[in-house]
Amino acid sequence: MIRRIIPAGLVTLALGAPLAAQAPSAQPPNRPSAYAITNTTIVPVVGARVVNGTVVIRNGRIEAAGAGVATPAGATVIDGRGLFVYPGLIDSGDRMGLTEIGSVPGGQDTQELGQYNPQNDVITAVNPSSVHIPVTRANGVTSAITSAQGGMIQGTAALIDLAGWTPDEMAAKSRVAMVMSYPRIGGGGGRGGFRGGQGQGGDAAATQNRQVQELYDYLRNAKAYNDRANPVPQNLAFAALGPALRGEVPVIFDVQTEGQIRGVLALADTFKLKVVLRGATQAWMLADTLAARKIPVVVGPLTAVPDGDAPYDAVYANPGVLAKAGVQIAFQTNDGGEGDARNLPYNAALATAYGLDPEEALRAVTINPARIWGVADRIGSIEPGKVANLFVTNGDPLDVRTQVKHVFIRGQLMQWDDRHTQEYQKWRARPRP
Amino acid sequence: MMRTALFALPLAAGVLAAQTPVQADTSDRRPAMPVLKVDIPPAGTLVAITNATILTASHGTIENGTVIIRNGKIASVGTGLAVPAGAQVIDGKGKFIMPGIIDAHSHSAAESINEGSRSNTAMVRIEDVLREDAIGLYRSLAGGVTTLNVLHGSANTVGGQNAVVKLRWGLPVDSLLFAGAPPGIKFALGENVRQTNVPQTPGRTPRYPRTRMGQEELLREVFTRAREYQAEWKAYADATTQRRKDAKLAEPIPPRRDLQLDAMVEILEGKRLVHAHSYRSDEILMLLKVAKDFNFRIASLQHVLEGYKIADEIAAAGSGASTFADNWAYKLEAFDAIPFNAALMAERGVKVSINSDSDERARRLYQEAAKAMKYGGASEEEAIRMITLNAAWQLGVDKLTGSIDVGKDADIAIFNGHPFAPASRVEMTLIDGRVFFDRNKAPTLDALIEAIKRRPRANTTSGGDR
Repeated sequence: MIRRIIPAGLVTLALGAPLAAQAPSAQPPNRPSAYAITNTTIVPVVGARVVNGTVVIRNGRIEAAGAGVATPAGATVIDGRGLFVYPGLIDSGDRMGLTEIGSVPGGQDTQELGQYNPQNDVITAVNPSSVHIPVTRANGVTSAITSAQGGMIQGTAALIDLAGWTPDEMAAKSRVAMVMSYPRIGGGGGRGGFRGGQGQGGDAAATQNRQVQELYDYLRNAKAYNDRANPVPQNLAFAALGPALRGEVPVIFDVQTEGQIRGVLALADTFKLKVVLRGATQAWMLADTLAARKIPVVVGPLTAVPDGDAPYDAVYANPGVLAKAGVQIAFQTNDGGEGDARNLPYNAALATAYGLDPEEALRAVTINPARIWGVADRIGSIEPGKVANLFVTNGDPLDVRTQVKHVFIRGQLMQWDDRHTQEYQKWRARPRP
Repeated sequence: MMRTALFALPLAAGVLAAQTPVQADTSDRRPAMPVLKVDIPPAGTLVAITNATILTASHGTIENGTVIIRNGKIASVGTGLAVPAGAQVIDGKGKFIMPGIIDAHSHSAAESINEGSRSNTAMVRIEDVLREDAIGLYRSLAGGVTTLNVLHGSANTVGGQNAVVKLRWGLPVDSLLFAGAPPGIKFALGENVRQTNVPQTPGRTPRYPRTRMGQEELLREVFTRAREYQAEWKAYADATTQRRKDAKLAEPIPPRRDLQLDAMVEILEGKRLVHAHSYRSDEILMLLKVAKDFNFRIASLQHVLEGYKIADEIAAAGSGASTFADNWAYKLEAFDAIPFNAALMAERGVKVSINSDSDERARRLYQEAAKAMKYGGASEEEAIRMITLNAAWQLGVDKLTGSIDVGKDADIAIFNGHPFAPASRVEMTLIDGRVFFDRNKAPTLDALIEAIKRRPRANTTSGGDR
């Protein structure tokens, strides 16, 4: 139940439909408002759980969180008895806002022509009205790394919050990383693969070697360009690679195999790149190396079958092996509009069944990605001063049976206005014929 | 390159060296797969699973219960049962057991699934293209699945005859078939049949039907033909009977045998179950109308993502609904899909199952079933039934499997925790009381990593496949 404390006393809002009295979903960020979630269990993911605590949200931020925290006057009170407060979940790889319906070409902004598109800025194509956004946040996923697919360099990735009226409002950090692939022998590079790939006859190894050579040449040229003071004529593609080549932003490499990962490590050494591996189903083979080199790995989706003769549980067990070796891991759903992004916590759950510590699994969808993406000062945990991206549940968010009760993004309480809830309520009320 | 070889068979086989080879020979077409040879106990072993939490799917949960298995069937279930002398005991302490999972929509063991040349291919049979070495079978088994409904694809209005199989991995291909399952057939409606989601091959004439109207017309056409064909055979049978009484009559000439119409007649006679791929409420209502007009029942609507809109009509038709837990938006006709579909249909009296249609989802159908609790508030047992008993009913095998009840086949999945809990996994899968999957003996990633650590290192300097 939600109560608003007003000078005249307490007024209880009727809640016939779930959360009927909440703010519209596309609230402008940082609109002044105050909430207190009281008598609740706080799971900060950094530090210990707080039983019977209060979380105060004001002006878009977490103002206070802990036991003995007072409810400020004028705050809307959410009785958190029997409930849990978690930091919002972060999907470290999907195509949120870039696609609507898989089979409908008119809705696709997922893949540009050509192999090298570092100049493409993904935030440009994020549709703030995508119906996938409210559907996804309804399960506690409050932020996502969205990026394009296909080719060798896909352009920038953006960290977006799953609320906002415009792309820029949604952006928590646009150009958070550059996204690349690495040629894979006999197949595509990363997501979506290469058009005209290596599979159609010929010498797959030779083709891969040529593609690797092209990648090196391209980056060498881009580096030479960025090393010049005032290059004329300007090359927007090369210029876009500047931050990555200067180590200012990481490069996400969408790769799978051990060979690709070794290739990426060599490439990173050559060009002094800050690397985040993504996908990386064979990363377990190099767990110690990756840990020693402090290279984070975004695993997933775990909803995948193993390659070739790999053990049946190879995909599920990979995250646990990496975490035990000391690799910082996060999860991606790689949702390309199939509606999987809301299942981010269940990817993490599958890993816990095959060796990943459940607490680490929770961190791998909250604070770990916040650290990987350089925003741990703002999101990823329940701590005073952080942006109020959080959600309230009746249990472990990794458990499918758990219900999400409330979702806050930037301190705004999200309305239960997603397409699925609406259709459910509409058709459930259909009179029996 | 060297490391890539770690996946090769000899090493993986070495990991399993302690196991005895499979007893049954495999097909002579392909070599056996040493990597996944399993040590299958002989049929008919006396087995007792003791002290387990038993999710029966039919009559609630039994704490601290025992299941006795005799001759492949469940002989008794309950608490305080004595373990018979000589029984192989599986200690179920701390474990949860449930009926083997039944996936009512799979393509796992089929070498090909679409005879896409025409829109009615009722004569083709999945049974003829089953592969016992399809790796998806083993991986599904490792996810607690014991029975699959292997269907044709959705290229055709009438796709062909499905095969219900048990995942007897390691035995010859004929052992896959579920002997007691009634025959069935795959229908399909909507976008896939229209073939409008894929680029048209240049120079190729589009195939009829290209609309949902055409799909209805095709169905009415083939069932009209089937009735005529049925009448021809009836007339022939009558004439034969007459001639037996009166030898002066001319010997009747049998009608020309038509394998396609044979299958359609079996549908009309209720001998062949229809499993119909469908999405939109309008096309589902059309199909139910056609079935009513020709006096047969649709056994299961497959996908049926808009089933929640017309749950009452589906329930009234006596059809089952086999759906995804929460997949949506992958095509236009999946845009109105909601994760509440399964629970809402069940609430309105439809027998609902949750299927995989995928080698991937089949591995974790228990996780998918839990979504019916989350979205729409299905009870735990109802959610368990959606991947067991209800699916069995849709396939016509609910008297034989799908719940932990006395007399049924001992098809059982053993979990290390509640199947719906986040950290739970399958430890053991039994079919007909025989252990076909045992994680303790399976080639896991941990086992492979251990084997790699023990392996002599001849060359550690070679790079990747750059």
